[in-house]
Amino acid sequence: MSLLLFDTILCLLLLALALASILSRQLAHAVILYIAFGLMMALAWARLAAPDLALAEAAIGAGLTGALCFSALAHQQIQLKPDVLSWPQRLWPAVFVLLMLGGVLAALLQLPPTASQLIAVTQAGLGNSGVSHPVTAVLLNFRSWDTLLELVVLLLALLGARQVAPEVKPATSWSLSLSWSRLLAPMVILLAGYLLWAGASQPGGAFQAGALLAAGAVVLRLNQQLSWLSWSNFWIRLLTVSGVLVFVLTALTAILLTPGNTDVVWLRWPPQLAAGIILLVELFATIAIALTLTVLVAGEPASTGAELGCGEGV
Amino acid sequence: MMVVLLVLPLLSALFMLLWPRIAPLLALLTASVCSLVALQLLLLVSQQGSQQVLLAGWPSGLAISLEANSLSSLLILLTALLQLLVGLYAFATHRRDKLGAGFWPLSGMLQLGLTALWLSRDLFNLYVCLELLGIVAVALVSLSGDKAIKPALNYLLLSLFGSLCYLLGVAILYGAYGVLDITVLASQWQADLLSSTALLLMTLGLMLKAALWPLHGWLPAAHAAAPAPVSALLSALVVKGPLFILCLLWLQLAGATQVAAVAPWFAGCGLAALLLGGVSALRTPFAKNMVAYSTVAQLGYAMLALGLLLRFNQPLFAAALWLFVLAHALAKATCFLAVGEITATLGGKRISTLKGASQTMPLAMFAFAVAGGSLIGLPPSGGFLAKWALLQGLWLQGGQLFWLLVIVLATLLSAAYVFRAVVLAFNRADPVAPDFAPRILPQWLALLPALAVWAMALYSEPLLQLLKQEGL
Repeated sequence: MSLLLFDTILCLLLLALALASILSRQLAHAVILYIAFGLMMALAWARLAAPDLALAEAAIGAGLTGALCFSALAHQQIQLKPDVLSWPQRLWPAVFVLLMLGGVLAALLQLPPTASQLIAVTQAGLGNSGVSHPVTAVLLNFRSWDTLLELVVLLLALLGARQVAPEVKPATSWSLSLSWSRLLAPMVILLAGYLLWAGASQPGGAFQAGALLAAGAVVLRLNQQLSWLSWSNFWIRLLTVSGVLVFVLTALTAILLTPGNTDVVWLRWPPQLAAGIILLVELFATIAIALTLTVLVAGEPASTGAELGCGEGV
Repeated sequence: MMVVLLVLPLLSALFMLLWPRIAPLLALLTASVCSLVALQLLLLVSQQGSQQVLLAGWPSGLAISLEANSLSSLLILLTALLQLLVGLYAFATHRRDKLGAGFWPLSGMLQLGLTALWLSRDLFNLYVCLELLGIVAVALVSLSGDKAIKPALNYLLLSLFGSLCYLLGVAILYGAYGVLDITVLASQWQADLLSSTALLLMTLGLMLKAALWPLHGWLPAAHAAAPAPVSALLSALVVKGPLFILCLLWLQLAGATQVAAVAPWFAGCGLAALLLGGVSALRTPFAKNMVAYSTVAQLGYAMLALGLLLRFNQPLFAAALWLFVLAHALAKATCFLAVGEITATLGGKRISTLKGASQTMPLAMFAFAVAGGSLIGLPPSGGFLAKWALLQGLWLQGGQLFWLLVIVLATLLSAAYVFRAVVLAFNRADPVAPDFAPRILPQWLALLPALAVWAMALYSEPLLQLLKQEGL
């Protein structure tokens, strides 16, 4: 009973936050409400017994997206006044959305209650996959090609955003937030390491660990720390692409390691080495995801950062 | 061999990010090696039949399946060759056009995304490829700088909406059947409300991404704002990716009743695209917008062929569909490169800039006219082959006078907008003076695909055979 009450309140809260975020007059309010929505969404995923999604939603949906929205707001030179839309202009999208919602809901009610037959196949293959957590096995062994392409997508998001990114204005940091972010940094690294390691047997893994690490690094960068962390630094570039690079090179090595070499199968990990390979790939993926998200959110440091002699300059 | 085609562009793009200085060299090298490998793959497939691979060595259902049939390998070859050509053009003009170092790694990733898409036979993997393709296309459009931000952002938002619609459809299908592999799914397919909803959602998303009428609104602005080599790649290749998935869905998955219900709609959309796209191309005052609207119109042929194929199940329509795709890719690459070269040299965006271009830049204008001939469907070009297959198919069905008339009308419209540019170019009384001496090499490069599209007529018999038996 109490759980039902909790679920009802959670659903109502989600709807209310989503509506409030859309209808809010000020963009800053909308972003704050959106972050709150992300946190509630993470709770909802946890209630739906999808802890992997909950972790990712909390770190990426609520944390980094919120930071991204705030930095976009801060970059805006002119104060945007939202256009006042006429009623027909508002009505058409609403009708469209309602129609689609109705259609999808009507279809979803027909979903068969049986679970996918793939679950049994996954459980059978888990023994040879090198990890014991099915989500990690799917992401990094059964369907690793998808994960590799998703890492490329993330890298591309950074490349695309860099082309249109405005100059970051140097800002002064608040001493309390500075010392607080420094205090947090070791904790973030420790937690990210734990998430990465835990991914082999329970919820966790590269995306969550990378997002957490990125959150810590973004806070430090917003406080004018880590000035070497910029795209013009060769080593940062190397580490940013290392997620994909190590993935591909490992797969090529795995082909060479396969005895017999009769038929080449792309991305097949030898069962006895799979655990080590997955950990290696995940480690570099974590670093790459963290760096990509950090550079994406925090942008290039202002050119004064190069004076510290850490970067190669812009 | 498929692995090489996938890994090589990816690795070279990564190295280009690390060492931007050698990026052009790496890009050209990769594209030429990939072209050779793709040619080998095509020969292999035509001798031994289609090659299927289950990735990561897991059983079917668990693993992602790839398949290289003759259509896929033909499209891969086309992708690699166009990449090579556009890379050469971009290298030849990079001092003048200031394309930016960002172009090279992005074009490598575009090749990866397209190759992965042509090969994939897994609904979720196709989604990932679509997403990759969408983001790389937006990043390429935004290479033009500030003026391209608005079209690029519109493109990004619409393309994300399209991807999400497709993903929702995939999620519904996975919930209903619990498999993602297209061949396995096809064997379990039931034509009920659930699968129809999923198909409709996916079709909506894919039509938005492929700029098929009436969801084409974003295309002219985005393709016109991009730099010339990028517009060539986007128009020739990127919009064909979603179209390919659309054909996969409707030809391999959908049940007979679903197909019968949707076929007239597809044909109708194709018809509207042909007529309205042609009229818009005729009316627009800007040169690149004209070429972009012509893409909308020409995609109408593919859509019409798909609709007729679904309705009559006649292999000639399948051949027509893919011949249109091939011929349009080659012709449109030439059109964008030639028009880009002319507008850059003569300085101006309007079609009136082309005045007297037959005198000042005869080679580029010749390339445009030759490619235009294929767009119209003049014999003996690739466009003519496609149109002939379409007409022959209609003739064999008998009593399809309405469609025959429509095709004639659409041909007249495309002739009108091509000749509008060509006639202006032959107006030598008061030619627009070039800003600097026209360069020969880029004009020759623009001419190459146009010659290739006319050469398609020489290989018409094997091409027709190959595409007829394939038909997906």
